[in-house]
Amino acid sequence: MRITRDVLGFAVAGAALAALAALPAAAQEIPVGHLADYSGPTSDVGTPYGQGVSDTIAYINANGGIGGRKIDAETVDYSYQVPRAVSTYKGWSGRVVAIQGWGTADTEALVAFVGKDKIPYYSASYSAALTDPAGGSKADKPAPYNFFYGPSYSDAARAMVQWAAEDWKRKGGKGKPKYVHMGANHPYPNAPKAAAEEYARELGFEVLPAIQFALTPGDYTAQCLTLKQAGANYAYLGNTAGSNISVLKACHAAGVKVQFLGNVWGMDENAMKAAGAAADGVVFPLRTGAVWNDDVPGMKLMKGISKMSDPSGNAYRAIHYLAGACTVLYMKEAMEWAAGNGGITGENIKKGMESRKNWVPQGSEGVCKPSTWSAKDHRSMLEVDLYRAGVKGSTEASVPELIANGTITMTRIATIQLPRKQEWLGW
Amino acid sequence: MTAVAYDRPSGDFKTSYAADDTIFPTRTSAAFCVAGIVLVCLAPLYLGKYGLSILIQIGYLGIAALGLNILVGFTGQISIGHAVFFGFGAFASAYLNNNFGVPVFFSIPLAGLATTVVGLIFGIPAARLKGLYLAIATLAAQFILQDFFARATWFTGGVAGTPADTLTIFGYAFNSDARYLYVVLAYVVVMYLLATNLMRTRDGRALVAVRDHYLSAEMMGVNLTKYRTMSFGVSSFYAGIGGALYGHYLGFVSVEGFTILFSIQFLAMIIIGGLGSIMGTLLGTAFMVLLPEAMAALAGQLAGSPIDRALGLNEGIAFLREMAIGAVIILFLIFEPDGLAHRWRQIRAYFKLYPYSY
Repeated sequence: MRITRDVLGFAVAGAALAALAALPAAAQEIPVGHLADYSGPTSDVGTPYGQGVSDTIAYINANGGIGGRKIDAETVDYSYQVPRAVSTYKGWSGRVVAIQGWGTADTEALVAFVGKDKIPYYSASYSAALTDPAGGSKADKPAPYNFFYGPSYSDAARAMVQWAAEDWKRKGGKGKPKYVHMGANHPYPNAPKAAAEEYARELGFEVLPAIQFALTPGDYTAQCLTLKQAGANYAYLGNTAGSNISVLKACHAAGVKVQFLGNVWGMDENAMKAAGAAADGVVFPLRTGAVWNDDVPGMKLMKGISKMSDPSGNAYRAIHYLAGACTVLYMKEAMEWAAGNGGITGENIKKGMESRKNWVPQGSEGVCKPSTWSAKDHRSMLEVDLYRAGVKGSTEASVPELIANGTITMTRIATIQLPRKQEWLGW
Repeated sequence: MTAVAYDRPSGDFKTSYAADDTIFPTRTSAAFCVAGIVLVCLAPLYLGKYGLSILIQIGYLGIAALGLNILVGFTGQISIGHAVFFGFGAFASAYLNNNFGVPVFFSIPLAGLATTVVGLIFGIPAARLKGLYLAIATLAAQFILQDFFARATWFTGGVAGTPADTLTIFGYAFNSDARYLYVVLAYVVVMYLLATNLMRTRDGRALVAVRDHYLSAEMMGVNLTKYRTMSFGVSSFYAGIGGALYGHYLGFVSVEGFTILFSIQFLAMIIIGGLGSIMGTLLGTAFMVLLPEAMAALAGQLAGSPIDRALGLNEGIAFLREMAIGAVIILFLIFEPDGLAHRWRQIRAYFKLYPYSY
């Protein structure tokens, strides 16, 4: 038993020393958790988004932090696995004041936890179930501490359905247009399914049974042939870019003539390069007011942020990178508000988020679009910009070259202003 | 692969059956066991949140792995679907608690029993199949139950998963790692004692007989069908208890965790720990839990170091970790095929016989 006591003594002494050494640093810095998917099924879009988050935090730290206090971010790659996300969260709770998260399944799993622990959670999931802070809507449970930057999946899908209805009229289509939802059986692609299908019915679409395809790339020829047989006119792709590319290519090869509508994570510059001609014509929503080469005032800040991980300043950043940067910038300003209103705590950051209207973080004008979170409604953006992907010719070169020589284009085709309907809140 | 205590000094003969099948062969081994339990009891004093979460993880995985070791190591069957039974326990306990208001204290053992029933159903083919064919039959269980989890929204919440309440006894909530550790520890002690004692009974010996030579066992009067199916039941019971403890620890049960990869990990735990060894199971589980953590720490140290810069690893470091885990497991199987339990016995024998080992 003496051994036990000795070991115990050493351990206690060691732990005490470690705690002492860690104290001064911890008092200064603001602990923030960062969950990212760099190796899981959504890593194709998780990587640029996560880099955007990390670079922006580095940029904030290099430029004075939050009132002189640096952000101490801990990045964990959870491979898109809910259990890993939850166990990581358990390690963070009680320590971090805010979390930059990622996927729908894990964010929805953590809603009750972050609500109880009062930790603002900035997800890259735009599931409408996260937009009801007070409860009472169609969402399962209130999500008072969940925030995200951009239109919800449901609202973006509604905007595309609305555009599709107009497009059908414009093209002089006869009869009822057919709409179909495509995606994996997973909380993320499922999130906007019911909302978009209902709105499509309302606008006179015939809604076909959903077609399933996995979140990982694969051979989806069978799905494309189903699509062809069913005679769909508009198909919503609910997955992320990686697996959508497989569908687009398979459908291109099978000669399926369908107008594809991509989810906000369903299309980007890299996907256009990978899919080539198959991606031509895909319509998708964009959260930011600009893409990397656009000339808007806010791009100066974004180029500065990009230099954090690319000192040469030559890197081309995909649209998701900008979205990640915007999300962190909102968190930064909410923290600054909190610092001036009782200190940086989870509760005050939430109040900071809800204290402003049509808010654009300083220096990001033209990139981050005006957003409003209120204590009763976390649908920050109801204006949805729809873009069309254009691919002309071979996509052998690198993405910056393809953008520069106009092989890959992203053109704004519509801006849909959705009404702030109470009955649309939370789903 | 048989578990024989061969490190006793020569001349150590038993004169009674009781002495022959005692749990602790020497007084020191009993003292070590008690000291280990006391050390874990005091863990909240000297371990941080991280250390405690690892201990808890070893605990609930160790219980489930022990179930698999009873099936694979002691009965000589094979299962590559252990993870779904673990998952079934987690979902069942959460389901009973959420929908019928069964207190978590009772829902955990009830989940164990429910999983036993499911295990017995999937164990029926085991009575007739052997080797690779049985492996494929258990693979079917893996896929059937995994698909069931994703579709049975009433039971599991579907792909979105289901919340699991914390364990509360008389208003005292085991809602922190330091508190939940004792729940898991209690279960580990009870479940390991149960397994140890099972192996000392007629039934336990029958299982070993089925493993060593099923024809001889049958000729001696062991009912093969009964014991093979029973082994599946017992193994599922352990998996169910482990899964239920996991669910209430994490607070949320998601379909995603219970993949075939997780099943293979359970197999790795018992193979590394030692097939047919109760203590080896716990060692193997600890190894499999600690290895990724150690590798992650190592990778963390490597990030930004001169080696990283020279080789340009960057994001490759995360994958380096996964590869290193694979490499360590392969090396382990080559150099220590009998598992950690065997190595532990050798170390013990070395000290016991020092300096005159023979």
